[in-house]
Amino acid sequence: MGEALVIRNLSKRFGGLRAVQDVSFSVEESETVALIGPNGAGKTTSFNLITGFHRPDTGSVLAFGREIVGLRPHDICAHGLARTFQVAKPFGAMTVLANVMTGAFLRDKNADVARAKAREAIEFVGLSAKEGTAARDLTTIDQRRLEMARALATQPRLLLLDEVMAGLNPSEIDQAVALMGKLSKRGLTIVIVEHVMRAIMAVARHIVVLDHGQKIAEGNPKEIVENPEVIRAYLGSGYTHVPTPEAG
Amino acid sequence: MPGGDRDNAKTTIMRKPRGWGVLSLCLLTVIVLALPGVLKSSFAIDILIRILLFAFIGVAWNLMGGYAKQLSLGHAAYFGLGAYTSTLMQVDFGISPWIGMFAGGVVAMLASLPIGWLCFRLRGPYFTIATIATAQVLMLIFLKFRDFAWGAEGTTIPNLGNAPLMMQFEAKAAYYYIALALLAIGLAITYRIERSRMGYYLVAIGENEDAAEAVGVNAPRIKRDIYMLSAFLTALAGTFYTQYIYFIDPATAFNFNISIEAALVSIVGGIGTLWGPVIGTVLLETTSALLQSWLGSSSGGIQLTVYSLILMAMILWRPTGIMGFLFEIYGRHIRAEPARA
Amino acid sequence: MVETLAQAVINGLLIGGIYALVSIGVTLIFGVVKIVNFAQGEFVMIGMYISFFLATRFGIDPVISLVVSMPVLFVVGVLIQHFLIQRVLGLNDMPQIFLTFALSLLIVNLSLMLFTANYRTVHTWYSDEAFHIAGLYIPLAKLIAFILAMVLSGVLWVFLHTTDLGKAMRAASQNRDVAMLMGINTNRVFCVALGVALALAGAAGSLLMPFYPAYPMVGQVFVLMAFVAVVLGTLGNIIGALAASLMMGVAESLGVQFVGADSGLIVVFLMLLLTLAVRPSGLAGGRPR
Repeated sequence: MGEALVIRNLSKRFGGLRAVQDVSFSVEESETVALIGPNGAGKTTSFNLITGFHRPDTGSVLAFGREIVGLRPHDICAHGLARTFQVAKPFGAMTVLANVMTGAFLRDKNADVARAKAREAIEFVGLSAKEGTAARDLTTIDQRRLEMARALATQPRLLLLDEVMAGLNPSEIDQAVALMGKLSKRGLTIVIVEHVMRAIMAVARHIVVLDHGQKIAEGNPKEIVENPEVIRAYLGSGYTHVPTPEAG
Repeated sequence: MPGGDRDNAKTTIMRKPRGWGVLSLCLLTVIVLALPGVLKSSFAIDILIRILLFAFIGVAWNLMGGYAKQLSLGHAAYFGLGAYTSTLMQVDFGISPWIGMFAGGVVAMLASLPIGWLCFRLRGPYFTIATIATAQVLMLIFLKFRDFAWGAEGTTIPNLGNAPLMMQFEAKAAYYYIALALLAIGLAITYRIERSRMGYYLVAIGENEDAAEAVGVNAPRIKRDIYMLSAFLTALAGTFYTQYIYFIDPATAFNFNISIEAALVSIVGGIGTLWGPVIGTVLLETTSALLQSWLGSSSGGIQLTVYSLILMAMILWRPTGIMGFLFEIYGRHIRAEPARA
Repeated sequence: MVETLAQAVINGLLIGGIYALVSIGVTLIFGVVKIVNFAQGEFVMIGMYISFFLATRFGIDPVISLVVSMPVLFVVGVLIQHFLIQRVLGLNDMPQIFLTFALSLLIVNLSLMLFTANYRTVHTWYSDEAFHIAGLYIPLAKLIAFILAMVLSGVLWVFLHTTDLGKAMRAASQNRDVAMLMGINTNRVFCVALGVALALAGAAGSLLMPFYPAYPMVGQVFVLMAFVAVVLGTLGNIIGALAASLMMGVAESLGVQFVGADSGLIVVFLMLLLTLAVRPSGLAGGRPR
């Protein structure tokens, strides 16, 4: 398995704020990786840096072997990286179908082909019944589904999902987890930013933890949960000496 | 059989709009083609020509301002460039305005590149202001430079009587048909774009440029391309108008009112729709003609006062324009994509 | 040569003070309400006509008539915010741009119908007076206008930084949602912002009357200056708008002096285009929106 994403020494400052400092990690192909950390840790900024919405001050991002720092978002998408936004950005005046077709058009110029491909993506996320609804009339959760379908329509090799689980009830979380499982089986590499533990534990074999812009830990779920640095970042230093059941 | 009936019912409903649509379009075409023959009044034909021309300018504006929401108030720049290019070629070199019209379009296209590059650096209202500024600059340039473009007094076009090859006709109806052809071309282009990838990309950019980029839309290039097309078409209108009134000067060719009306008819009629600019022009120009006949020739300011009141009313009541209102009443089966929903 | 230069600079600064009043209003509205008021120049024009009528009917000096024009325009601002702008706040760019644009068109053309296009002037005892200092010619009327413009700007600055309402406006300007969460009544804040901005425009109009003619289209020139100054000084930044306005005044004056009488506009446009090309976010940097 090759490496889908190799991030090295990524840094970005906004004025006085060091949003991302010297972050490095790799993602294998077909792997699902979770990027976690307390609020303000730099997770969404990292996504923005990877997908070209901000330019990093230093560092490199290799996607499927190609350096993508400096490329515009649409080129990065064409190269195979698709993303969703934390606050969904649907094309409000367009129908669900039209929204997803916009994504599908990246790979197929023909409107009929794009429409067919779009319908596949819409069905995958379960929005077929609302195909003709205007995007601005959808519920927030359906807008997230739309966002996912639109991203999938661009036929990505790497999917970046920004907090898609926020506000979902347990059964909806399970549905989303199942979707991700299916995508992963198809070979899609997935990187998620998430807070919902249930989902992270279910999908991610590999977790990267950020705090204040820096990577503080990396490993499998068990290692992360027991990592004192991670505990300190989320709960404060008062909790780092709690003995863990399997210690020693 | 119940199932069979249901299927038939569905197909009938699906067919009706399409059948009606084609029928009414044919009817409209017949009426429109026959009008100059039916109407004897020169005044009436004049109004119709104005309607056709400004509908065409509105359609050109709409491609960029309506679909992609790049709200330019500087389109007079291209109107003027088209007008001056063809006139210069005609008066100085004797070249037919038919060729000059096309050349004017090309000049406008080329001009839209640096202007677009500059203006697209700003977003929203500041983009609009920048477009106003560039149109004003062009007017100032043409006012100052008497050496190649007659300066502030402009020039008249030598009247050659009936000279079709030089775009001069004795019969007013000829101008009517040319304007009609221009409008038809503009509508055809819009229709094709609407249903193609470009159309979806334009609306996507207009709705949320960042999200569009995230799904692979090359926003800067698309904006640049549609601006070139919009400029090209507007320039054609400039040439036509100059040939129609046999006169050109900077104040007329680069008049801010042209920029205003281009945007206005689209907004009032239905921004980002195929027929919006046409409906808007019919409404506004008819109102204007009525005002003129009631109050005599432009009692300074009344026309624009009425226009601005109509615009304000539209924005406060129905920003999607008349077409938006119709879509709401007649449901959404009219068009599924790119979806004026 | 130095004297001509100094004279041009002085002339530019003096008129720049008026530009500042107009552009501060534009940038205040943009910063707080997040819309561009295309009609700002028209309110300068209204201020001028108010002063004109007070002067010709009652013999009131235009500068004194500030006490009338400013409150009147404040109220107009509040009304416009409450009945018009409030309705398009949730919508996207198009209605917001074209609402104030339509308002501008409406006011100009109504004025054309009501007042005709004739220039109206007011002649005061100080309209032709001037100081002669070190070989420089400083017109009294313009000097008074400049000083009062700076005073008003200063008062605004104090208001924004010391009063609760002023601070609320700055808060809403920086982050509307958080401001609402903090209990700040955004509608009230917006009304005040519009009122203040229009009052400043009205003041500019009154201050202009002793040395500038009033006519329906007069606002368009000043608003253009204002827009360029706002972009140059960074959107929403009041000090930036002030500084940029003074710079624009000087640049225009230098252009008129050394290039030609009608080159003022070209200088302005060039400054705009230059800003766009080189530093679209303005002198104070930050994001263009």
